[in-house]
Amino acid sequence: MSDKDDSETPVLTEAVPILEDGNCEPAKNSESVDQNAKPESKSEPIASTRKRPEAKPSSDLETSEVLPVPVSQAPGKETVSKDVPQTGWGYWGSWGKSLLSSASATVATVGQGISTVIEKAETSLGIPSPSEVSTEQYAAGEINTKDNENSSPMAGPFGVFSTISTAVQSTGKSVISGGLDALEFIGKKTMDVIAEGDPGFKRTKGLMNRNSTLSQVLREAKEKEELRTSDEVTMETEKKTHYGLLFDEFQGLSHLEALEMLSRESEIKVKSILNSLSGEELETLKLELQQLKEAFSLAEFCEEEEEEKIGDEDFTKEITELFSQLHVSSKPEKLAKARNTAHEWIRTSLTKPFTEQEEGEKLLEAENNEQVNKNSIEDIHAFAIRSLAELTACSIELFHKTAALVLHGRKQEVTAIERSRTLSQMTVVLCKELSSLSKEFTTCLTTAGVKEKADVLNPLITAVFLEASNSASYIQDAFQLLLPVLEISLIENKTESPQHELQSQRPLSEQ
Amino acid sequence: MEAIWLYQFRLIVIGDSTVGKSCLIRRFTEGRFAQVSDPTVGVDFFSRLVEIEPGKRIKLQIWDTAGQERFRSITRAYYRNSVGGLLLFDITNRRSFQNVHEWLEETKVHVQPYQIVFVLVGHKCDLDTQRQVTRHEAEKLAAAYGMKYIETSARDAINVEKAFTDLTRDIYELVKRGEITIQEGWEGVKSGFVPNVVHSSEEVVKSERRCLC
Repeated sequence: MSDKDDSETPVLTEAVPILEDGNCEPAKNSESVDQNAKPESKSEPIASTRKRPEAKPSSDLETSEVLPVPVSQAPGKETVSKDVPQTGWGYWGSWGKSLLSSASATVATVGQGISTVIEKAETSLGIPSPSEVSTEQYAAGEINTKDNENSSPMAGPFGVFSTISTAVQSTGKSVISGGLDALEFIGKKTMDVIAEGDPGFKRTKGLMNRNSTLSQVLREAKEKEELRTSDEVTMETEKKTHYGLLFDEFQGLSHLEALEMLSRESEIKVKSILNSLSGEELETLKLELQQLKEAFSLAEFCEEEEEEKIGDEDFTKEITELFSQLHVSSKPEKLAKARNTAHEWIRTSLTKPFTEQEEGEKLLEAENNEQVNKNSIEDIHAFAIRSLAELTACSIELFHKTAALVLHGRKQEVTAIERSRTLSQMTVVLCKELSSLSKEFTTCLTTAGVKEKADVLNPLITAVFLEASNSASYIQDAFQLLLPVLEISLIENKTESPQHELQSQRPLSEQ
Repeated sequence: MEAIWLYQFRLIVIGDSTVGKSCLIRRFTEGRFAQVSDPTVGVDFFSRLVEIEPGKRIKLQIWDTAGQERFRSITRAYYRNSVGGLLLFDITNRRSFQNVHEWLEETKVHVQPYQIVFVLVGHKCDLDTQRQVTRHEAEKLAAAYGMKYIETSARDAINVEKAFTDLTRDIYELVKRGEITIQEGWEGVKSGFVPNVVHSSEEVVKSERRCLC
């Protein structure tokens, strides 16, 4: 029985180990990536003890890309005025913008083939030119974001696509066979966004209103994709870049489900406690819970006023600092490692531009040396999607662990409200990180793909932005799942009788 | 990365804290041994494919549970959706062996109406000099509950592979014989993906459209 098996190392490791050894000591590899990649990363280092970001004029950076404040998201937030351009979902609205601009870029390229068709269609259908359409739709998107119920910015371009393709189909298929693929690509992505209930542009409310949870939605999407990809042998590459599959591979789905479970249980407990109370007691508690809720909505507002001053070195520091403020024993090392690996990869690929290597002189790092030539943009794309999935999975794992520790950890001298504030800050830091990461990845793509046609390059860029936007939404949704957990923690701390009802029941010993 | 598998099994790993559950799983899924590891918080997730017969792969989703009492309410929620389990004790820790009984009772209560195929694992068998539980008594206990018994070491990579694959094979046999069936609303066993069998509607639509061009 005790004979050694030498073949212990798994041969068929299905999920790549989440922690890659080696090339990523946190906080080491973190000079800013490249001038053209991240102009904003050069800004001043952040004071890691800072509890709140200072308000700062938001006009310097990507403000131009940013949508106005969605009013509906700011009930009674005096810190936010309606005309501050970069706040709340406006921040994420910039994703929509990015997507839209690449989308319209693609339309423009495709238009080489189909412009005549479209022109014909325009005259017959009375629709404006593609560029006009996209700007108009974008403008419409801006307005629509304000009530992020059923009018996502995506609804705009999607409408355009369908109009175009209808026109196209009725006018002549042969002309545009090449162009349609590109449209189909974005169209399909768009469809996914809508069909999979992706909150990227719809936000949590819409998502949670339906009777399915985020993890269900994601799981279904993943399973659908598994079915689809198993169908075609040649799909290996596509699989490598499928966000849902990768997210699951990094155990993101499992952690999300686990978090949902804790969230649901807590919610039920909170409700039953509220039902058991009355009079003044109930009112006091309600007030406190309201404060907690406010701490949860704070993230999207105050934090957004902060420009991206998180330099490369500071992410690890900041996230670690925030974690220590939480007073849970979980550590964000895994997350920091994943993030630093991604940044290291980007830096390597930017310092040695792919174009110089087309003649195959020098290979990059071991991890991306396989196809430096033609497939390099696919490599970047695959790595980008993989990194986004990994970072998101790690973030959700952290939230899950935090929930478990808040509920069952040792008692700490930190209030639920303080924790909520820290968590919302953390959410913002994570989302910003995803944002800047995706920008860097697209810089890589643009650099590597200078010789590529736009209809090859743009869909990849679009996909990176889209998945980054999705990632940010998942993280924000996961964050919201923490609210009931913090609520029950607040109630339990108040009553000084933590509900470790199990301790008395369970006879099992513990070391 | 070949990701096509016949079935997906969910396995749960339980036992007192510090018996080495996480280390065993990490050895199995990542192929290495961590000298130091933090206690598991709540539950953790791992997965790996195993090939039980040439060409027949099973995807294992492994749930690593916290041994600590305070997380019991969380870990309990995971029994129900598991088809198999590894129940660990530390051969150098008699107490952890005595608790095996309690663990089985605990799962029995929470797994209803389903069943878990358990294997009893005497862990840390590299520390034979500090042994407090004989192989004989462990085998006796396992037999009394209809379990197999195996001794493993994550540090020296002894029997780790065998513990998981044997359990997987046993479950696979039960599935093949129809004693365990895939059920709606139960995640213990799920069917996998076999190429060129399933066509999603999306695929059909796509190919139709292609034909038009």
